[in-house]
Amino acid sequence: MKLNIEGLLVYFPYDYIYPEQYSYMLELKRTLDAKGHGVLEMPSGTGKTISLLSLIIAYQRAFPLEVTKLIYCSRTVPEIEKVIEELRKLMEFYSKETGESNNFLALALSSRKNLCIHPEILHANIVVYSYHYLLDPKIADLVSKELAKKSVVVFDEAHNIDNVCIDSMSVNITRRTLDRCQNNVDTLQNTIHKIKETDAAKLREEYRRLVEGLKEANVARETDIYLANPVLPDEILQEAVPGTIRTAEHFVGFLRRFLEYLKSRLRVQHVVQESAPQFLKDIFDKVCIDRKPLRFCAERLQSLLRTLEIADIADFSAVTLISNFATLVSTYSQGFTIIIEPFEDRTPTIANPVLHFSCMDPSIAIKPVFQRFQSVIITSGTLSPLDIYPRILDFRPVTMASFTMTLARTCLCPLIVGRGNDQVALSSKFETREDFAVIRNYGNLLLEMSAIVPDGIVAFFTSYVYMENIVASWYEQGILENIQRNKLIFIETQDAAETSMALEKYQEACENGRGAILLSVARGKVSEGIDFVHHFGRAVIMFGVPYVYTQSRILKARLEYLRDQFQIRENDFLTFDAMRHAAQCVGRAIRGKTDYGLMIFADKRYARADKRGKLPRWIQEHINDGSLNLTVDEAVQLAKHFLRQMAQPFRQEDQLGLSLLTLEQLQSEEMLQKITQIAHQT
Amino acid sequence: MDDQGCPRCKTTKYRNPSLKLMVNVCGHTLCENCVEMLFVRGSGNCVQCDTPLRKSNFRVQLFEDPTVDKEVEIRKKVLKIYNKRDFDFPSLREYNDYLEQVEDIVYNLTNNIDVENTKLRMEQYQRENRDLIQRNKATLTREQEELEELLLLEQQGNEQRRLEVLQEEQRQLQAKRKNKQALLDELEQSQLPATILLAQHKVRAAQLETQIEQQKQTVKPTNLFSTGIHMRQTVSLMAVPKVEEVLYHYKPLQVKTYGPPVPELEQLGRLGYLNHVRAAMPQDTAGGYTSALACHRAVQDAFSGLFPPKG
Repeated sequence: MKLNIEGLLVYFPYDYIYPEQYSYMLELKRTLDAKGHGVLEMPSGTGKTISLLSLIIAYQRAFPLEVTKLIYCSRTVPEIEKVIEELRKLMEFYSKETGESNNFLALALSSRKNLCIHPEILHANIVVYSYHYLLDPKIADLVSKELAKKSVVVFDEAHNIDNVCIDSMSVNITRRTLDRCQNNVDTLQNTIHKIKETDAAKLREEYRRLVEGLKEANVARETDIYLANPVLPDEILQEAVPGTIRTAEHFVGFLRRFLEYLKSRLRVQHVVQESAPQFLKDIFDKVCIDRKPLRFCAERLQSLLRTLEIADIADFSAVTLISNFATLVSTYSQGFTIIIEPFEDRTPTIANPVLHFSCMDPSIAIKPVFQRFQSVIITSGTLSPLDIYPRILDFRPVTMASFTMTLARTCLCPLIVGRGNDQVALSSKFETREDFAVIRNYGNLLLEMSAIVPDGIVAFFTSYVYMENIVASWYEQGILENIQRNKLIFIETQDAAETSMALEKYQEACENGRGAILLSVARGKVSEGIDFVHHFGRAVIMFGVPYVYTQSRILKARLEYLRDQFQIRENDFLTFDAMRHAAQCVGRAIRGKTDYGLMIFADKRYARADKRGKLPRWIQEHINDGSLNLTVDEAVQLAKHFLRQMAQPFRQEDQLGLSLLTLEQLQSEEMLQKITQIAHQT
Repeated sequence: MDDQGCPRCKTTKYRNPSLKLMVNVCGHTLCENCVEMLFVRGSGNCVQCDTPLRKSNFRVQLFEDPTVDKEVEIRKKVLKIYNKRDFDFPSLREYNDYLEQVEDIVYNLTNNIDVENTKLRMEQYQRENRDLIQRNKATLTREQEELEELLLLEQQGNEQRRLEVLQEEQRQLQAKRKNKQALLDELEQSQLPATILLAQHKVRAAQLETQIEQQKQTVKPTNLFSTGIHMRQTVSLMAVPKVEEVLYHYKPLQVKTYGPPVPELEQLGRLGYLNHVRAAMPQDTAGGYTSALACHRAVQDAFSGLFPPKG
């Protein structure tokens, strides 16, 4: 259908539209008009992708000078494929309606097989790739250099974007890395020696270029300032390489000294936590390495590798990692911390020294993106509470909106089970993890659910260790046997092959009617990527609140930093993180308006206002006061009632006019009024 | 490092856990016991390269590669002499050239290339730049002290803030507890009906909550979006028309009087006008008043009252 959104003609490739899709496109258009950034939360399975694409492409066609490119960033390759499918449908619709073949070029960069070629990117209107190509400073330099300012960047499934930013700027160095780096440095030295005897002109040429301060030919730009490497601020990039590392031999000696210093630091017997300036001071005291040459380390290494015409760059990954680390530690004085641990917390007897250089401030990696592009949209199904994202990513959006699902029949049933049948409070709190009664009640809950819920149930635990403990207890208590009489049980492990096998068999069991239960972990692979549509996931049970491991030193440093810089309480942040994972997990079961599912939160802490308030709006709406703090029996009653209702036939005509609209219904007055109420601004 | 051993007696850390390896200026290692034994007379020759060495030059090895130890020692000595900073040079290029020179010297000394010449060059440089070296040494120590003070202050600041936040949380917990206790006490003692007491309690609890919420929301107040647009500003897409105007040029005021010109403020004293004016009191001069000001005003008045001559 062809829509008119505040004067903009939008081609939408389906005949029916959801009211929230229209509302979403409205908000999006307003954000683009204001040339600002936006944070939009829309529930999963409501056609977010196609709304985004159709609106932004229509905007591009109407104002080709305002928005020159659309950069769509997604997390995984399957998601990128889905986007390309939708795009293809949209393009077909366009050519059918307008009769002319449009000259839109869309490029998808997914893996090494489909790498980009610079000139093509310049001409493309739409580029689809993964977050890392824009956020990771080492890759962004190569891939995203030529992107113009007047582009719209969309981060889809961006609820974890702060973790992506932090990971892209963090470096972990183990003893093995240093040993490999030593080999690399020795190889470099030998190669330099050999080249000096055969073809010394190359090294001389490189030296001359460094003295003159000339940049490589494909690095210099005349037109637009390219996406500045966030590792190095602009002024530094223009400076010449310092004299201490000009010649190749001096540079190799420099690397050797730095490497030896790192080896000596890894030999500590106790945990050390330092800030970046302290680390630099120590480096200077011990090996007389100054801050400035460290900054240019990465660049100098690249230049050397190119001059020596090393064919296989992958062999030198260790020394590249160390040079990146050197550049990062010398550029940023705030927002990073260095933690050296002689062994991991969980295995104190095995000596495994590791140096964690962790970024505590996700805004450092994403700041160039916000500054450079005129409109950045962050969207996902679970972004609550919305105001935390602008605070931790340090940007000011013009729109922050959360959309609900309009439903003809209430297809989700969130229940909070806080007590067992014997009134024992259910919780995954650390103190109650070994409690026999709690484990028995959890088992009882799963048993009852397996008897009444058809097809597949997915259960999420807070950690692998916890899951293993509980399953072992259930086995001893005989609960597993009873459950297996109703459904088959599959379990996710840390091994990828086993998990995919388990997943496959689970799906087979759901298909042929035997029914199955999948036990998995809230931060595992299953919860991040797999959708459980229709009969694959009729109920999702969240055992406990999925807090992250709170004793890790890196986490503690990060919480302290957040408290000092952004005045975010530690408790608030931990709760926010736990709730977004919980919301992600339960959101796996609903993928569309004809799908239905039970969402069971099995922990008494979910009933508290601070946790409930952090669930996305489209889930919170359906929690009424009567479904907080249920016992297992009451939950089973409500579930039975809900499932029987959902099993009634539901046709598309039932939805029309309420949650599914044709063009005429869309344009009626009351509908437009209702639509304005859907968006909830914060 | 643990599998290295002393090249002479071949003991490793496995056999002797308290083994310490020492390095000398030639870059070769020896364990502590061997050093004691061989250098009992204070000086001797290196086992591997036969250079004459002194016992006092042995230092504990910090790094796995003894050549790095040697290089670091040499570098520290060289940098004590060659301690010019970047502001001592007129251009960045010259500073970089100087740095390269220093690197060459260290490289030569470490790899025993051309040692004599290098040493001569160093001595010459030292003689030429003696006072500059002294001055730079002083600034360097001063800067390091300042840096250490800053770091200390920062750490103290962090500690303070952490304690404050903890105390704040404690206070809030206590306030909540007191509120609950107050409710129980009132129910026990007061004459009012229970519903009113409960309502009051609810109101107080809500107030506490809002207080806590407000404290959490100490967001930096801004009125600018990331792109530079002001909040609540409607952005128009039309360009603002450019207005060209003549630049203003200041011309001092000229008053035409008939008759002789008015004397300037500074000349009044000399010409004797001030003798007929009341002198300024100390309170007056504090505010900036001088008697010349009043006099000048009166004189201007008088002169502007003159009429043009007849005829």
